[in-house]
Amino acid sequence: MIELWFGILGFMLIMFSVLEGWDFGAGALHLLVAKTSAERRQVIAAIGPLWTWHEVWLLAAGGTFMVAFPKAMATAFAGYYLALWLALWSFMLRGISLEVGGHLPDPLWQAFWDLVFAVANVLLAIVFGAALGNVIRGVPLDETGEFTLAFFTHFGVRGRVGILDWYTLSVAVMTLLLLCAHGATYLTLKTQGTVHERSMRWARRLWWAVAVGFPIVTLETSSVRPEIFRAAAERPLAWLGLLAALGGLGALITGRRLGREQRAFAGSCAIIVGLLIVLGVGLFPVLLHSTIAPEFSMTAQQAASSPRGLQLALYWWPPAMLLAFGYMMFIARQFRGKVRSS
Amino acid sequence: MYDPTLWHRLQFAFSIVYHYLFPQLTMGLAWFLVFWKWRALRTGEERYAKAARFWARIFGLNFAMGVVTGLPMEFQFGTNWGEFTKFSGGVIGQTLAMEGMFSFFLESALVGALIWGEQRLGPRRHFLAALGVAIGSWLSGYFIIVTNAFMQHPVGHGMSEDGTLHIADLSDYLLNPWGLVQFAHNQMAALVTGSFVVTALGAYLALRGRSAEQAKLYLRHGALAGLVASVLVAFPTGDLQAKLVAKHQEPSLAAMEGRFQTLPSMVEITLIGQPNVRERRLDNPIKVPGMLSFLAFGTFHSGVRGLEAFPESEWPTNIELLYYSFHVMAGLGTLFILLMGIANLARWRGRLETTRPLLWVLMLAFPFPYIANTAGWITAELGRQPWLIWGIMRTEDGASKIVSSGNVLFTLVGLTGMYFVLGLLYLFLVGHEALRGPDAVPHSHSPYGEPEALSAAKEKGTP
Repeated sequence: MIELWFGILGFMLIMFSVLEGWDFGAGALHLLVAKTSAERRQVIAAIGPLWTWHEVWLLAAGGTFMVAFPKAMATAFAGYYLALWLALWSFMLRGISLEVGGHLPDPLWQAFWDLVFAVANVLLAIVFGAALGNVIRGVPLDETGEFTLAFFTHFGVRGRVGILDWYTLSVAVMTLLLLCAHGATYLTLKTQGTVHERSMRWARRLWWAVAVGFPIVTLETSSVRPEIFRAAAERPLAWLGLLAALGGLGALITGRRLGREQRAFAGSCAIIVGLLIVLGVGLFPVLLHSTIAPEFSMTAQQAASSPRGLQLALYWWPPAMLLAFGYMMFIARQFRGKVRSS
Repeated sequence: MYDPTLWHRLQFAFSIVYHYLFPQLTMGLAWFLVFWKWRALRTGEERYAKAARFWARIFGLNFAMGVVTGLPMEFQFGTNWGEFTKFSGGVIGQTLAMEGMFSFFLESALVGALIWGEQRLGPRRHFLAALGVAIGSWLSGYFIIVTNAFMQHPVGHGMSEDGTLHIADLSDYLLNPWGLVQFAHNQMAALVTGSFVVTALGAYLALRGRSAEQAKLYLRHGALAGLVASVLVAFPTGDLQAKLVAKHQEPSLAAMEGRFQTLPSMVEITLIGQPNVRERRLDNPIKVPGMLSFLAFGTFHSGVRGLEAFPESEWPTNIELLYYSFHVMAGLGTLFILLMGIANLARWRGRLETTRPLLWVLMLAFPFPYIANTAGWITAELGRQPWLIWGIMRTEDGASKIVSSGNVLFTLVGLTGMYFVLGLLYLFLVGHEALRGPDAVPHSHSPYGEPEALSAAKEKGTP
């Protein structure tokens, strides 16, 4: 039961990463791939009517975290206090810039909100990258069972760490690059004309940057948390994830060569999903890893809700999930195809 | 001032009061949109479609503000109220997760289509989008109110060996009688807000002599819905809510009424007066004999225990504000019935669109339902004090221990600045849309590529 809920939580976070990932990436890049007002409208049209639906995956994952692992949720959220509020403010700025930007036809008004939108998306990609780095590296949980994270302390990865250190910073930069590459691949699929050409160019540059950076970050990870690799190697699901990521890489390369944009984009999604599966499987069962001493770490078993609560939630979760996909299909059908520049 | 709980409470109170200014209009306006879309579908009359189109623009801005200010709410359970979440997350997590899964996915998928997708979806599917958004927003309200009802009147839970709460019976928890009454009361109050806003804009257009047909529609539908909803807020829902408080939260009832002494029967209700907690009396009271016994228990002969019957440790922590917020809510609620009664009388005599003094009052009345709704929630939440979960957990035990006052004040200050800017933007843009009126050509373009993408889709042959 606890494995199942760990899996459900992981599934929701992976869905969020892939779906919002292309919105973050496309939003972060939009000043670079779109120069005129009409081109920027085209990018925003490509991000489309479902970005709020994508964002809900995080909110729903937050609720699921609470129902399944309340103790870990409370400890983590209170500990990440400042980081979470930074993320919340960025979310607010992004949402509001998308909504109000189109309400006045004034060019200065629109230019300002386009800039806010781009900055908020860059910030969100970095904050979520740093959060991922923190999950991998661990947090300073001590014998009280609590922790609190300052933005930075000594920039090392052991002991009383902060949110930012050399490792989490490199994961953050890596995440920004990867999501921008993902977003550029998405824009290649959804746009036409000059935006399409610029997105193609940016996608090539960014994927090369990812190809250079990823092995470095993987090496860093193996020195910070070697046990993740050992655990993942013993679990078949992780090999499946690796297979998906490699398949995705193949699809991305051949898709881009042959001009099959859908295949390339599917490959980009598969890479992110596959890598996160490997990571999630390797992390299990630890929810909060302690950088002070391993015995202070909080596992899924220690943080779980009562068996009765987990069982009850399992009755309503699957139908709710099916309904959620139903709404998405209804909308996605109405908005499929490329958007054009006017 | 070094008590972090105070800052946690201020931050939560500020962010929830501000947030709830938007959902109450969303939940009230949503059914106007559904009704107009439905009438347009049935009769094919353009005026209904036009009304829905105009209000959908305002709805969209309002909805976005609700989403943006609602984001921090769920997170604050963990960031600011960590001890509360550890203790009760196994219970309240159920409804908070359900809200995300059942209503947020529904609303977020359909709201863009509701606001921008009229051409693309066609009338039938566009009506369905409106219906979906309305259902989603009310479902969301239900899950939140069930969560709040658990804090007011905990049911369906059990105590685990490790000293935390777990869910024992999900249907008891979801069908908490307190929650059902509170939901009915709250949703009717949201409809009052929606009705007053629609009526106010109709009155503005009528006074200016613009868009006569639309003005008439807003005035008539707004006033009728406003009367029905205002009556339902007071009776039966408000009445039932008061009886639940009288039965389960006795010290709160006493504080709401500013009643310190116990009386065996014929207890009077206070209309106006100022509570003096130090002297334990009410200054300058104007009272109606016997009414409190009757309203709280249904008979003039029942007694009401005053605050003196309870130890001070069980008294609500802010008796004065609780007393005033309750009286502001109840007083305004009564005036709403009166005003909407007069408006409907004028409507019946065919003079609603021409009676200028009445139109002035209707135009300027729309802020008051916001005040009444806010006062009502302050009554509910202050009445629950000193408990975070009534009888089980006290408020001072619920805040995150690990978060320092300095960090909370940092985010509170940041939030205040952010919300100030958001408020300015909202007022500016809604005012802009509202004053331009329903006949203006919308210059707000769709962020979703309408109509270019529509023409692209048509070329491909997919409507």
